[in-house]
Amino acid sequence: MATRLQEDFSGATRWRRRPRPTFAWLAQTVTGVLLLVLLTVHMVAQHLVVEGGLRTYDQVIAWIRNPVVLVVEALLLVCVTWHGIAGVHAVLLDLGLRGRTERVVARILGDVAVATVLYGLWLLYMLAFRG
Amino acid sequence: MTRTGPERGTGGRQASRWLDPRGRHLGTWAFLANRLTGLGLVAYLYLHLVILSTLLRGPEAWDGLVRLFRNPVFLAFDVLLVLGLAFHGFNGLRVALVGSGLLVDRHKALLAAAGILVGLVSLVAAVRIFFG
Amino acid sequence: MSTPRTVLLKVFRSTPAGHGPRYDEFRVPVGPRTTVLDALLAARRDQDPSLAVRHSCLHGSCGTCGMRVNGREVLACLTRLDGLGDPVVVEPLAGLSVMGDLVVDMEGVYGRVEPAGRPLVRASEGARPELEELERFEDCLECGLCLSACPVAGDPRFLGPAALAAAERVLEEPRGADPKAVLGLVDDAHGAWRCHAAFECSAVCPAGVDPGGAIMRLRRRLLADRLPRLVGRYHREARP
Repeated sequence: MATRLQEDFSGATRWRRRPRPTFAWLAQTVTGVLLLVLLTVHMVAQHLVVEGGLRTYDQVIAWIRNPVVLVVEALLLVCVTWHGIAGVHAVLLDLGLRGRTERVVARILGDVAVATVLYGLWLLYMLAFRG
Repeated sequence: MTRTGPERGTGGRQASRWLDPRGRHLGTWAFLANRLTGLGLVAYLYLHLVILSTLLRGPEAWDGLVRLFRNPVFLAFDVLLVLGLAFHGFNGLRVALVGSGLLVDRHKALLAAAGILVGLVSLVAAVRIFFG
Repeated sequence: MSTPRTVLLKVFRSTPAGHGPRYDEFRVPVGPRTTVLDALLAARRDQDPSLAVRHSCLHGSCGTCGMRVNGREVLACLTRLDGLGDPVVVEPLAGLSVMGDLVVDMEGVYGRVEPAGRPLVRASEGARPELEELERFEDCLECGLCLSACPVAGDPRFLGPAALAAAERVLEEPRGADPKAVLGLVDDAHGAWRCHAAFECSAVCPAGVDPGGAIMRLRRRLLADRLPRLVGRYHREARP
């Protein structure tokens, strides 16, 4: 029935605290474009600059102590986690995730994203300052 | 040959529709490949973090891993990784452009261009990885 | 006289009570111009009167006979059996509730397009001059082929290509419709932002409507409307 579908649409994902879908999509696009650049830089810097393509332990530590490298890697971590987790969310939506389950899963994904970034930043810190 | 009934899609039924190749055009393949490479890359992200955590165990553990990664099996995996990354990136760029309403009439050309770039980057990467 | 050529149709069957689903086989005579619909009606007339299939105009202008033939969305009255191989698999459209056999609940299509607004500018009236070159979404048959073909439209909340294209056409020329309401309807994770640029909809549309292109123009419109608010500038009204 047309009425039923209209209710479906008006009820769908209109939570107050949720970012507008336009901005969610923009964030995905922006992180995506940033990743094109950051990942290229990362791949070139990690594997094309060094002899043999893989750094030894000492080379890694020396490399990560460079403040520019540290910042770029941290930025890469944040972008790739955001883009990746948002992407997983999109795939789940495609597969029919909805209602309360959707909210629970979205919150879990958010927590996973935060945990990932925190872990990655901690790892960077340990290598750069305590390596 | 069984096919699932084409009822209102949820979960598994939608996924099985994705697996039905009949009558589909290039754009759908690109969409599916984007999903596939995306999920693969997310899995790789966590694998990568686990591997990098080896650095916390000191030089011997890490350098041992580095020796392992020079094995041709791992090198081949690296080439696949670059292929997946290149596809997701360049096709993603097409989706971003077209999805913002830019160059919509050229979406087929953009897909072709993406394909060429993916091929080139993967080829260069394969050469560098195996012979560099 | 040579024996007429025949083709084996493998037709999806199920009853409203839920029996099935199964595939029934019908061997039907076929000539160079026999369409899938011709063959289905012959099968119903000569072999199994319980076969449920919908049609109306028989010439591709009503959109009633949409179905999947060998997995591809088509209008059965326009699709010749010649060249489709043997057997030919006939199934109802995907993404819509099956009411029985090849008949689906088209409310899934109409119920989506209606909230988006149905553009009704007659060709004789003429659209705004600068729009003359754009597709006439008025040509849409509401046949549902695009919804079935879309790789994302398995989600029943997704507005789908036809509804989104209708929304874009209404926003081009609101003629009394409320643009803000239409923008609000499509600015949703299950509206315009669901599309992932597969363009399968445009590939199967029998009316040449290009819903994929319309969805992208709609997104450009949404961005133009929403972005200024993001940077805190004065919110411009959607163009009348």
